[in-house]
Amino acid sequence: MSFMGFFISVFALASAIGVVSVRNPLYSAFCLIVHLLAIAGLYAVLESHFLAVSQIVVYAGAIMVLVLFVLMLLNLKTEEGRGPGVLRTCIAVAVGGVVLLVALPPLVGRFARMSVIQISDAFRRSEGTVRAIGAELYGDYAVQFELSSLVLLIGVVGAVMLSKRKNPTLGPRPGGLFAGGKQ
Amino acid sequence: MSSPVTYIALSLVLFIIGAIGVTLRRNAIVVFMCIEMMLNAVNLAFVAFSKLHGNLDGQIAVLFTMVIAAAESAVGLAIILAVFRSVASVDTAESAELKW
Repeated sequence: MSFMGFFISVFALASAIGVVSVRNPLYSAFCLIVHLLAIAGLYAVLESHFLAVSQIVVYAGAIMVLVLFVLMLLNLKTEEGRGPGVLRTCIAVAVGGVVLLVALPPLVGRFARMSVIQISDAFRRSEGTVRAIGAELYGDYAVQFELSSLVLLIGVVGAVMLSKRKNPTLGPRPGGLFAGGKQ
Repeated sequence: MSSPVTYIALSLVLFIIGAIGVTLRRNAIVVFMCIEMMLNAVNLAFVAFSKLHGNLDGQIAVLFTMVIAAAESAVGLAIILAVFRSVASVDTAESAELKW
């Protein structure tokens, strides 16, 4: 891991812990923005430049703006006093530690010292560029690419349908999810 | 630039942190953000494997994951808003009933 990769990894880890541990959801969202930008930096370190750019545009830009909009819209306060509790935290961290212990050893053994394998010259010259990704995307993955546009369309229609009120003059009050509801 | 395997280990740690967040936090939006974090950890592993094997398919998979994540965030946040309108809370423990 290069120095730059190590530096950005520290940022990614710290902001990930911040997302989980900070009490205020708004600060959590800001930590997540830092985390997503750090991931974009790691993509750049791994020489997939197109993905780094689209990570910034799609994740740190569009998705986080959506999350922040909803956070502002709901106007949430800090969670009132009811944390997860020491016992639950200990159990969750212990389970996470066990999973880490199970899954990490294969990564730090001989495999970890293995460098990049079987790279063709063409890949090394063009990997991660828009040209290479585009050729792949419109070549082998053309059908999936078209289908992904369909998925996005369905997602947008679903979001509109879910957020549509039955009676637009009603304010935010209980029972507005679909027709009828709890009166 | 040494081995991309370190990034796979990092993505494992990030995924576990996200999973711990999903189990511990009760605010639905924070849970949502932790899910995004787990998706990003998997994306990082994809990119590292793509680098490791000298193959672009991993990066294409990341691109499709981003598309799915965008659609998922639109629908997920709409669901959170609808639940908030229904039970006036985004606490996941408050909306434990399957009726409204």
